[in-house]
Amino acid sequence: MTFYSKILGAASGLAIACTGMAAQAETLFWSTQAKPVEEAQAMREQVLGGFEAGVDYQPNDGGPWLTRLNAELQAGSGTIGVLGALHGDFSAMNPDDLVDLSDMGVMSASGTFNDLAKLGTDSMQYIPWMQASYIMAANKDALQYLPDGADINALTYDQLIQWAANAHEAAGEPKFGFPAGPKGLKHRFFQGYLYPSYTNGVVRTFASDEAVGAWEAFRKLWEHTNPASTNFSFMQEQLLSGDAWIVFDHTSRLAQAFNERPDDFVAFPAPAGPTGRGFMPVLAGVAIPKTAPDMDAAKSLVEYMLKPETQIATLRATNFFPVVDVALPEDLPPSVKAAGDAVAKMSGSADANPGLLPAGLGDKGGDFNRVFVDSFERIVLAGQDIRMVLDDQKGKLAAIMEETGAPCWAPDAPSEGACPVE
Amino acid sequence: MTSVTTDVAAPDARKAGKFVYVTAVVLLCAWVLVPIYFLLINTLSSPDTVNSFPKPFWPEFDLGSLTFFAGFAGMLTALKNSILVAGMTMIMSIVIGAPAGYALSRFDFRGKELFRLLILLTRAFPLPLLALPLAVMFIQTGLDDTVFGLALVHTTLAIPFAVLITFSLFSGIPIELEEAAWTLGCTRLTAFTKVVLPLILPGITASAIFAFVISWNEVFAAAVLTIENRTLTAFLLQNLDTSPLHLKFAGGFILVVPALIFIFAVRKYLFAMWGIANR
Repeated sequence: MTFYSKILGAASGLAIACTGMAAQAETLFWSTQAKPVEEAQAMREQVLGGFEAGVDYQPNDGGPWLTRLNAELQAGSGTIGVLGALHGDFSAMNPDDLVDLSDMGVMSASGTFNDLAKLGTDSMQYIPWMQASYIMAANKDALQYLPDGADINALTYDQLIQWAANAHEAAGEPKFGFPAGPKGLKHRFFQGYLYPSYTNGVVRTFASDEAVGAWEAFRKLWEHTNPASTNFSFMQEQLLSGDAWIVFDHTSRLAQAFNERPDDFVAFPAPAGPTGRGFMPVLAGVAIPKTAPDMDAAKSLVEYMLKPETQIATLRATNFFPVVDVALPEDLPPSVKAAGDAVAKMSGSADANPGLLPAGLGDKGGDFNRVFVDSFERIVLAGQDIRMVLDDQKGKLAAIMEETGAPCWAPDAPSEGACPVE
Repeated sequence: MTSVTTDVAAPDARKAGKFVYVTAVVLLCAWVLVPIYFLLINTLSSPDTVNSFPKPFWPEFDLGSLTFFAGFAGMLTALKNSILVAGMTMIMSIVIGAPAGYALSRFDFRGKELFRLLILLTRAFPLPLLALPLAVMFIQTGLDDTVFGLALVHTTLAIPFAVLITFSLFSGIPIELEEAAWTLGCTRLTAFTKVVLPLILPGITASAIFAFVISWNEVFAAAVLTIENRTLTAFLLQNLDTSPLHLKFAGGFILVVPALIFIFAVRKYLFAMWGIANR
């Protein structure tokens, strides 16, 4: 009988332990950003510590983030006060589920960002929160292999391929690194960098002759790319370990390399192709779900996030740049300086061809990315004929555009109605 | 002639057999221990060493990564929640699963085979699919964000194992033992508690360990159904995959150690169960 009494004792003890759950007073900040433990810690201590009412900052994977949010919306009551996520996460949501933030009186300094934040409606569905971009980085040891006459701050794709080839020859193994792993952001390279640089478009020009040229160039680059790249998702790791000398990635996914060994690496703009230097911003925003338990606290937290001091603290914590006009202080971490310089040179270059984030795709954003990832896998990894693959994938892309009715975004020429795949 | 050859061959065969046996044991141990050892080394190394290659064989006892987690807000609460949830899952899955296993092995009833099949069905649906309706229901009933609510979900996941393990355990104990106890003055209940229970206690411990490990490792439901009362796995695992390498190792180490300690503590019951299975 002692066995039963033990079980009963333990069960009642546990039951008592779990009844004493206090109601929360802090605003719950439910985020998909600043997920790495160090960034989450910095968000809690340095960024949100100054918000007097208290914030519970919880970064999550996309799946649980969305599931929890949908559950609260369906149940009609919730605990989430403020949402933090990428533009793509918000555009996949029903705008009605988000509180209209137009009358908040805060917004980003960029008109483009503010328009994106309307999610196709007339009012602000989220407030732009922070921005980043994708850049190139290299080990300083690799600089000696730069082709003759190449300026690292104004590279072309041909020069990059030559550089990677030289490094390949010198090292005896391919030293270009590309984030083609499961969590890597490879699709953004094709959508925001390769296609705009070669075809001056993304959707309209998807299967054009110029696109065939773009993929041919990327195939050449792949010959000098570390084949383990299909397993790389955060190029800072390969920079630090020396598995890759020249890499492309998201600024915050390169930060650790610059912060740990600032003197060993250099950041520089993405290369240019025949139609300019394509590049793409990353935009994160804050929003309030309609089920927020304390609307006033949530709104004041959103306001707090847009304050210049908070924006600078966020920059230090996450390597995402402010979206409001702020004077950046001198003592920023090395990663911020390096990335900031590279982005400034990229957007300030004479041949800059800035693209926008895909807009209007709703919950088809993942399928849209899939088209580019599948094309990459078939053309580059499986070695299939480029023309055949593009003609094949073109149908899928056209179906997505027609289904969502999304109009073209830069650098594609504007369209009336759904963006056509030409 | 034959006797000579066997005399010569036998020690050889025995030696070879022993060699194969020892090699197999060493390989199996290495299979488990080497990854854990590398986890330990990298946990106790500085970021530079973690990123370098080849790795040193001895840890350099740099506590930087572990110190970071010591200051990470909410770690201890999450650890406490994990232990609470795993403990409740363990108890509930045994309290519910063991009687079901007993019934399956001792009684004939209509739909018995169907029941055995259905009980496996709880594992047939992926949690990301179930999590949304579950979370909606939990929010409406007030179970949301409680340790008990999450333990209920984990219990559902653990019950098939509890039922099937206890079913085979009860089936291994002859009904005659119970019948003998009845003739000697036991009621059905006392026969069970005095005769059968002591025999299968080790087996019950084993299915409890299963339940513990299932609960400890579960991330998705924990991440969706709890907010304030996160389990350690939900709290850490989601953030680790995007963290720098040295913190990945340290975080992984922190996740593995409590489970290892638990299994180490109850290991003698496990071996006892294998003893029963052999009989």
